[in-house]
Amino acid sequence: MPPTLVYTPEQLLSSRVLAEPLIANGVRCHGGFDADGHYRSPRTLCRAPAIEAWQAQLSEEGHGLLEVPSRAMPPQYPNAAQAKLLLRHGVREPLVRSLTIISIVEGFGAIIRDVQVPDLEELFVEPLSGTALTHLQSGLFEAHARDESGYRDEGGHKQMWEAARDSALENPHIPGDVLMRLMGRRSQGARPAPVFPEIGQPLERMLGFMANVLVVEVFAEETFRWGMDILSDPEVSAAPEIAGDMISYIQADEKPHVEYLRTALSEVSARTIKTVEGGTIPGKQVIDALMHRILEQATRTRPADQRDDLRENLAESIRTATHPSALQDDFDALETPWAPPTRTGFEAAEDAA
Amino acid sequence: MRVIRIIRSLQIGWTAARVWSMYKIPHWSKKLRGRELSASEWSVIHERAAQKTLDLALGLRGVMIKMCQAVATRADIFPPEIIDKLKQCHDAVPPKSFEIVRKIVESELGKSMDAVFSSFDPQPLASASLAQVHRARLVDGREVAVKVQYPDIETIIRTDLANMRRVCRVYEFFDPRPLPLLPLLSELTRHLGMELDFVREADCADRVRELFVDDPQVKIPAIHREWSTRRVLTMELVGGIKITEKKKIEAVGLVPAEVLQNLMYIYVRMILAAGFFQADPHPGNLFVSPTGQIVVLDFGLSKELPEGFGLGLFELMFSLMTFNESAMVRAFDELGFRSKTGDKTTFVAIARRMVNRSDTGAFEGELTEDMTDELFEAIREDPVAEVPSDFVLVARVFSLLSGIAHSLGSRANILQAMSGGGPAPSLES
Repeated sequence: MPPTLVYTPEQLLSSRVLAEPLIANGVRCHGGFDADGHYRSPRTLCRAPAIEAWQAQLSEEGHGLLEVPSRAMPPQYPNAAQAKLLLRHGVREPLVRSLTIISIVEGFGAIIRDVQVPDLEELFVEPLSGTALTHLQSGLFEAHARDESGYRDEGGHKQMWEAARDSALENPHIPGDVLMRLMGRRSQGARPAPVFPEIGQPLERMLGFMANVLVVEVFAEETFRWGMDILSDPEVSAAPEIAGDMISYIQADEKPHVEYLRTALSEVSARTIKTVEGGTIPGKQVIDALMHRILEQATRTRPADQRDDLRENLAESIRTATHPSALQDDFDALETPWAPPTRTGFEAAEDAA
Repeated sequence: MRVIRIIRSLQIGWTAARVWSMYKIPHWSKKLRGRELSASEWSVIHERAAQKTLDLALGLRGVMIKMCQAVATRADIFPPEIIDKLKQCHDAVPPKSFEIVRKIVESELGKSMDAVFSSFDPQPLASASLAQVHRARLVDGREVAVKVQYPDIETIIRTDLANMRRVCRVYEFFDPRPLPLLPLLSELTRHLGMELDFVREADCADRVRELFVDDPQVKIPAIHREWSTRRVLTMELVGGIKITEKKKIEAVGLVPAEVLQNLMYIYVRMILAAGFFQADPHPGNLFVSPTGQIVVLDFGLSKELPEGFGLGLFELMFSLMTFNESAMVRAFDELGFRSKTGDKTTFVAIARRMVNRSDTGAFEGELTEDMTDELFEAIREDPVAEVPSDFVLVARVFSLLSGIAHSLGSRANILQAMSGGGPAPSLES
């Protein structure tokens, strides 16, 4: 029997029956454990096979899946060795701040449920039936939003990161500047000019948003590695097992996000978009150009800005240590140099655009 | 002055007695017949009592206006009929004559008006409960706005506050289930103390300006300290379109939804991130420049939140916007909400009620006036014993912002504002 390609929103939001819920630092969270004690992500009863089926269909049609190059992934700053050094010297604030910001940023993933999806059937030359694209607003975005920020009486990734932080660092004081760091730098000025005015703004905005979230989700792999390295280290963590496991559960939950986003974007890439003036443009040209632009920003401008922003703050925290200058030297010695790749892998289409 | 004090005291006492009897006589009369007042009968009484109070406030001005404004913000305590009526107090104050204004300005600045200003418009730009504002030009040519406090307003306020405290005590003595008016009065006394000190207002304006120093989309007028005192405030004159004038905003090529998103970001940043904010965002205090810059005026009522309160508010708003009831309940607790029973059932019910407001399954990040009204209604109906007063002030701010959104016919995505702003609901990367 061929795999099902069409799902209802209820199906895409449905979860397995679990033997035990996930309780994170006293907070009931989504997901839980099966009878064998394995963690099972929420809302994956139909979502996981659905994504596999859409990917298989794409492959049968002769199209590959879009790949975000892992070499483009910028490292966390401070790196795990630097963060542990600070913790060993009692300087906890930078890590608490970073973990809190990560938890809030995860929660903001819920904004995806508010993305305006235009009438896609009208915008493509080829049919869209039985694709991930037709399920974005009927289950996929909503499932993504619920995973990130929690829903009703269950916590999501925001609360799970908080639990990892609070159990590993024993309910630390949250620095008062956390929200200012999030809100302090807003996108200035007018809306950026469209890259492809010919396809209409609603479609470009939706695709740009999805491509950006995909890059963030792929790059989060580095954050998971970093978080697990630090919080599961018994030398610096009060609850190494609990905190490490918590991050691994989040990591498992994120997989469907990466997969449905790259599937939907690949479906666009494999199709032809109708322009507002009655012409057409290859979907690949649009997706590659958007990916190139986002990767350029995510690998070049953003990490450097974030690093500069954090360095000043770190130096301030280090000054509170017993031997600040020695600690600063040791901290700097642990720095791992990183340079962004010269190419994003999506240049050809960018040049054509 | 002594005669004025006595007359004011008598007027306040007489009105208080009449309002009290408006409630009690029908109530007792029905009780004697073994019946209770119906909801519609209560509604008529509330409306009449509010009208009486409003008439007194407009006659006496000063603190009575302020008291009515304060009551109009407490939807958690007072019924909607009273709130709606007393809201009228915001724009109903006649100005003082130019001769009085001249005397105050000259006495405060220690110079004749001509020595400081090359021109001074005798018609005020605006007049409110404590002061009025005039357009003027400094002798060096710079255009300014001069805010002048009414004469003897401090004495009038002291007298009125003392009178009102007496009335409240009498009311609490006689009424078996009194409304919590004395705490409200104490809060009003604190706020009035702040608003009467223009030096403090100048400090607050500077503090908010510093917060947005790198943000070209926000304008806080500069203060001319050399021509400002505790009772006269001279500041840069900044023009613009009143924020609720949608057609004018569109006529200069601006998108109302983007203006609104910008405004929401400014308030979210002040309240949640900085914990210090201008707490009076009514349309008379907010303008838009032709380039889309938001002009914020009047820092008389600026508020500093306790440490951690901004993060608690963030959690409450975030959990509401993301339908997370359990996180909402935790946020209520962190913010200092307390139920009489001490358990969390009340807050679970309130959280569920708020989250269920969305029929579509999405708020699209919007916090509406209806939502804050409903929150307070739920609080009034449930046995919540303690609502933090800071929360009430913040809720009032968001309620006012929501009113502006309504006038602009637009929606602001508060989640997007909390994540760092960005233009209107486009959700760009």
